[in-house]
Amino acid sequence: MNPPFFEYQNAVKILCGDHALERIPDELRHLGAAHPLLLTDTMLMKLGIATIVAELMSEEGCPAAATFTDIPVDSSLSVVNRIASLFREHACDSIVAVGGGSVIDSAKGVRLVLSQETDDILSLSGVENLVRGRHVPFIVVPTTAGTGSECTGVAVIRNEAQDVKMEFLSPFVEPDVAILDARMTLKLPARATASTGMDALCHAIEAASCLQKNPLSDAHATAAISLVSRYLLRAVEAPSDADARLHMALAATLAGIAFSNSMVGGVHAIGHALGGVCHVPHADVMAILLPHVMRYNLSKADRSYAELLPYMIGMEAAAALPREQRAQALLDSVVGLTQKLHDAAGLHLRLRDLGVPEQELEHVAEVALNDGALIVNPVALDKERTLQLLRAAY
Amino acid sequence: MKRFIKKLTVAAALRLVHAALVELRWLDPFVREQMEALPVGISYAIHTGHDAPTLYVQWDGKRLLRLEQAPAKTTCELRLKSLADSFLMFTGQIGLAHGYARHSFTMQGEIADVMRLARLVDRAEAYLFPAFMSRRILTEVPALPSSPLRLYGRLILGFLSRSYT
Repeated sequence: MNPPFFEYQNAVKILCGDHALERIPDELRHLGAAHPLLLTDTMLMKLGIATIVAELMSEEGCPAAATFTDIPVDSSLSVVNRIASLFREHACDSIVAVGGGSVIDSAKGVRLVLSQETDDILSLSGVENLVRGRHVPFIVVPTTAGTGSECTGVAVIRNEAQDVKMEFLSPFVEPDVAILDARMTLKLPARATASTGMDALCHAIEAASCLQKNPLSDAHATAAISLVSRYLLRAVEAPSDADARLHMALAATLAGIAFSNSMVGGVHAIGHALGGVCHVPHADVMAILLPHVMRYNLSKADRSYAELLPYMIGMEAAAALPREQRAQALLDSVVGLTQKLHDAAGLHLRLRDLGVPEQELEHVAEVALNDGALIVNPVALDKERTLQLLRAAY
Repeated sequence: MKRFIKKLTVAAALRLVHAALVELRWLDPFVREQMEALPVGISYAIHTGHDAPTLYVQWDGKRLLRLEQAPAKTTCELRLKSLADSFLMFTGQIGLAHGYARHSFTMQGEIADVMRLARLVDRAEAYLFPAFMSRRILTEVPALPSSPLRLYGRLILGFLSRSYT
């Protein structure tokens, strides 16, 4: 059933497939830019992944005017402000971000600071509160297949002072161009492939079952679920399978478009709190929490879950099940996939495996209640029930 | 419906929600706990549309004050995108969660502060609206420790004695 009203936006040009990276200079030219700031992290430079992009840009006549690699695992407000200063010092005119969620979200923050012509990103916090500012050409090259951040209108940036992850929601954080190229994820370790893939699955399932779901976001979410179910295990078991890698990159992008237009839910609310308080990797937390929150939401999300089942296990297998068993079957298939990924790549299944201190769970539950994603979770969550979920996942 | 009737309705609803929160602090331990956990000095503005009413409230550590005009710096500003959106939300046709899902408002400030206010407003709505409406607009209707009739009784006395200005 369609909601009585919904909004949908995706203005990102997506270049997907062979030699997509080589098109970056041409895209910059079309955007009127010639002096890009390259943002990435030190690990990607060491692994030679970001250098592939840097070299291709130079070869095609558009070298980086400056490069910043000192981006922490969790993007932070102060780093964003620092990069914006660097951009101005070097008279850059555009941003090329090469990395995972932290790099991309930092770049989005920088773009916001520059386009809104301020010095402090904290002054811009809010939801859909900004007007279109100065256009700063912005290209994103994801190096994981999970966050979908290359196509979302949200930047999640850590506030170090308050130990919380802040969300900046605005269509103006969306990049101009997203580049999906299998070369960027071929070296991703098996466990990271597994957890980031589960992050994409989580985006798709939450987007298609939360209060903000709509037909257009559902279309992207279901396509993402199909791709994850077909290609995630394959990408984990055969890391050099470029076809599987590219399809997982596409799955993450589709899931990103889905949740950018319908939000997420309880998994992300609790996950953001865990990340802010305990500094644990986002994707690992998503993989652990997803089955627990799905089980909790089952009473109200059963219809949505049942509709997603064919995309997860195939049309014929889903049709063979009675209607009333399909929602539970989706949950079972998610649990089954996490177990397979655990066996194949050591995907973490419990919060304790990530080093989350048990005594922090209560604080995490309190912080989660103030996360915006909670507002659209299909079933209400209070502190006590959030704590129960955390203990079950511990 | 004429625009001025919608404006009057929304203005009355804003006053009612504020007054209900003032009273519920004494009637409902959940509201008391949530309100007393608010940072002292936090202020909210709720704008309901072009040339439409605005509610300014501030928690001073003891009372949730309704201000006649904007404080020097408002912590969190909610701006409903149209009077039609405001009317839907403040007449119990949609709840805050569904308003969010419909992109009915923009927000300036920290999302955490909106979530603090949302918990209070949801609770007030559970008292102010009949059960069949609460079930439609809230993701969960909470068990209420006090009677809505008792709240309405206190509100009548409060408005008669001009306690909420």
